[in-house]
Amino acid sequence: MTELGTTTARSAPSAATAADASAVSLHGVTKRFPGGKGTQPVVAVDDIDLDIVDGEFFSLLGPSGCGKTTTLRMVAGFEYPSAGSIRIFGEEVGLKPPNRRPVNTVFQSYALFPHMTVEQNIAFGLEMKDVSRKEIAQRVGEVIELVQLQGREKSKPRHLSGGQQQRVALARALVNRPKVLLLDEPLGALDLKLRQAMQVELKQMQEHVGITFVYVTHDQEEALTMSDRIAVMDGGQLLQVGTPEEIYDHPRTRFVADFIGETNLLEAVVVDGTTATLTDGTRVRVDNGQTSGTTVTLAIRPEKLGLRHIDSERNAALDAVTGRVERVTFLGNAIAYEVRVGQAQAFDLEVRQGNAPGIEHFAVGDEVRVRWVPSSASVLED
Amino acid sequence: MSLVDTTGAGPSLAEDSVARPRRTVDRILAGNAWLVFAFLYLPILVLIALSFNDNTRVGVWTEFSFRWYGEMFGHTRIMSALRTSILVALMSTAVSTVLGTAAALSMERFRYRGQRAFDGLLYLPVIIPDITMAVMLLLFFVQAFDIVLLVTGVGLSRGVGTITLAHIAFNISFVALVVRARLAGLDSRLEEAAADLYASRWQAFRRVTLPLIAPGVAGGALLALTLSLDDVVIAEFVSGAGTTTLPVYVFGAVRRGVSPLINAVSVLMLVGSILLVVGALAISRRRVET
Amino acid sequence: MSTIVTPPDLDEQPARPGRLPPGLEVKAEKAASRRGLFIGLPAYVYLILFFALPLAIVVVYSFATRSVTGLTVLGDWNLRSYGRLTDPLVLRIAWRSTWIATFTTVVSLVVAYPFAYYLATRPPKVRAILLVLVMIPFWSNFLARTFAWRLLLSSDGPFVRLMEFVGYTDLRLLFTPTAVVLGLVYGYLPFMILPLYASIERLDHSLVEAARDLYASGWEAFRKVTWPLTLPGVIAGSILVFIPSFGAYVTPEILGGTGTTMLGNYIGRQFVGTASDWPFGSALSVAILFVMTIAAMAYFRSGGKNL
Repeated sequence: MTELGTTTARSAPSAATAADASAVSLHGVTKRFPGGKGTQPVVAVDDIDLDIVDGEFFSLLGPSGCGKTTTLRMVAGFEYPSAGSIRIFGEEVGLKPPNRRPVNTVFQSYALFPHMTVEQNIAFGLEMKDVSRKEIAQRVGEVIELVQLQGREKSKPRHLSGGQQQRVALARALVNRPKVLLLDEPLGALDLKLRQAMQVELKQMQEHVGITFVYVTHDQEEALTMSDRIAVMDGGQLLQVGTPEEIYDHPRTRFVADFIGETNLLEAVVVDGTTATLTDGTRVRVDNGQTSGTTVTLAIRPEKLGLRHIDSERNAALDAVTGRVERVTFLGNAIAYEVRVGQAQAFDLEVRQGNAPGIEHFAVGDEVRVRWVPSSASVLED
Repeated sequence: MSLVDTTGAGPSLAEDSVARPRRTVDRILAGNAWLVFAFLYLPILVLIALSFNDNTRVGVWTEFSFRWYGEMFGHTRIMSALRTSILVALMSTAVSTVLGTAAALSMERFRYRGQRAFDGLLYLPVIIPDITMAVMLLLFFVQAFDIVLLVTGVGLSRGVGTITLAHIAFNISFVALVVRARLAGLDSRLEEAAADLYASRWQAFRRVTLPLIAPGVAGGALLALTLSLDDVVIAEFVSGAGTTTLPVYVFGAVRRGVSPLINAVSVLMLVGSILLVVGALAISRRRVET
Repeated sequence: MSTIVTPPDLDEQPARPGRLPPGLEVKAEKAASRRGLFIGLPAYVYLILFFALPLAIVVVYSFATRSVTGLTVLGDWNLRSYGRLTDPLVLRIAWRSTWIATFTTVVSLVVAYPFAYYLATRPPKVRAILLVLVMIPFWSNFLARTFAWRLLLSSDGPFVRLMEFVGYTDLRLLFTPTAVVLGLVYGYLPFMILPLYASIERLDHSLVEAARDLYASGWEAFRKVTWPLTLPGVIAGSILVFIPSFGAYVTPEILGGTGTTMLGNYIGRQFVGTASDWPFGSALSVAILFVMTIAAMAYFRSGGKNL
């Protein structure tokens, strides 16, 4: 859990971070909402343990209703945990009201005060903290520059574009120099182009200000591109926490594999510690630790699979199955093939090949060999 | 546009066949609309015109004069009733706006036991017929004053006080209704955002909630003012022998028979209420623009 | 729930690591509940004192007895006043109130529906102006507006004069049920227009176009699409007109005569003068309240809460 993304150039805190140095640390956090009359309470968040390291861009990723927003709201103070402990830089805040917590929130639809100008919106938090007028003016000016809203200081939020409103929301939170910034799907209301631009901008801003960002999203692509680490949630539980690479390349559960990107799920029966048999009878190499005879599921990303003609030379370093191309879909930057493997208990493999020159193309009906590096197939835990 | 069908082209025919019944329907709708507006405004205009008629017989026009207005302003009972009306309206509006707004906040922003019962209690005065409310409050004041007399020996009588208390009772509900509608349309995340930005509960209310529901509160107050000035039935039952409101005075006079003096008083009430609304509209307009 | 829940007196507690004691969340929510109740309490107390208690007194009175002198004897509780609710006279008045209110509702609907439709299909700027023109009579003094009809309909008023000029003599309008219905329609028409307008304006016009595209005639499209979709507005408006018409007091007093006494007037009469009978008037009030509550519940069921 303390493993950090190592591929980012940014200097990540050392791996030996103790829980006390965590920006946010949740222990056994549970949230139950009362159900309707005569029904069981709904468990929105179920006994979560999580440590978010100071300075990292951390995403809570999952489908709607998975408990990610409730988790964020408990950190912000809008909900109180039914059980467990929430600490921000070591200080227990579980039951503190939101106005006494060193965090600020960027709301899903911004929640900008419609009766205040951009400037007044941004100054609100500082005024509540009784910061001197002079300092307020200076800090508001700085942050307006940071989010490039010069000239719009006197505008009302409704006269701003979606992207500008988003910047005001960000500025309104950042101007308070929170220890942790909480973002609840902040880009959800923007169109695709703007969203992609804002993703880059948000990430740069986070690196610039050096504040811990806790980012809630249901968009896996967004989480993968921006985060240092991601926690995947479903049904109120944390399924996997790790760097984007770990989550993508080595999903631990069927849900994670399926929710993030596209994936092929293959049934296999373990032969011994290192090999397993697919349903078509092919032997493939798997991670150790499985007892023989058990049925496991292998997950392999379509782009980790390679296609060769059936009569091409075999490479002993790769695992491979043979099959027949059933469908070819041109995707522009890639070509997707659906390959049927085996006879009786046939399964389909989704294969994605780049569209670079020199890469061989196949047609429906071609007999092919599908091959992959053994380590790119993950054995799922469920 | 009516197309000349000399070409006999398909599209224009089709368009025309759709368009023609439409226009007939539109014309009927427009005609109906003008009739409705005439229905709504003609009686008012006739009343205003007749109030300037210098004749003791209401329906016979002789000549234009301010005679009845002069008499009205010199009439001590009418003027005293007018003062009572204004006093009652202002007091009941002030109290019911505060209580009604608080009740609306309590209903829309909190959950507690017994809330549904209070919700019902808050709605009942809106749907109850005036006459029932009037009878209820009459019996209540009679009974309460009997008890007060018995216990303390102080004899209370119905008047401005009882009318005001009665008006507050129904106005709370109307104010709460209007403010609740406004609160329901207000994103509660704005209040969360205020709290997130270090505002205490009071600061969040004062700086965010109140300014945003202000139009609703003002609308509720305007409604309370109008309803209080409009009320005949309840005031008639809970007022005493000495004090009446202007509508109660007019109602009594009309029951005895029409007189041109009452025309003038009616116009005063009518124009007063219209000015109130138009003024409120103008103010809210200006506020939106700035 | 959107309530911001804040626990009481927790700031004094030292920030200590480890798990929070269970149940504090519940305590925090209870504190918020108490605060909510506390904010509403002045209004509730007021309404209990000046509404619920008077209501209870009326109920108590309805079981009391009228003495020969016209005073009410609290004691000797009985159901005689309720028994009198089925007197032929009461039934006749109740029936009259019902049909006058029904007639008023139907006339209002027939006039207001096309009007609201016209309003809702105007360009936004025109619409805003027309809406204000509807609102002004709605907000202006009810008694004065009803009084205007007294003048219009009187025997030397412009209406009768016009009819005489055309050739109808001996036309009598004032003090008739027609006059009462006219006055009620005039008084409550905006109550019908506004919910109808709201539901027609909300209607997605592309649905009507879709119906037309699927071969519906204009009339069929109206009957099968527009009408059902605006039915909530129709129901809301009808109830909003029916309720005050049924309990009308002022309009029949001013425009009606001896033959148009409605329940409201009949109740009022039980409380004034020497012929007063408070227990009977109370029983009538309880009965009318019962009917109104049912009508109002029907209104809220129809989803017309937001008006």
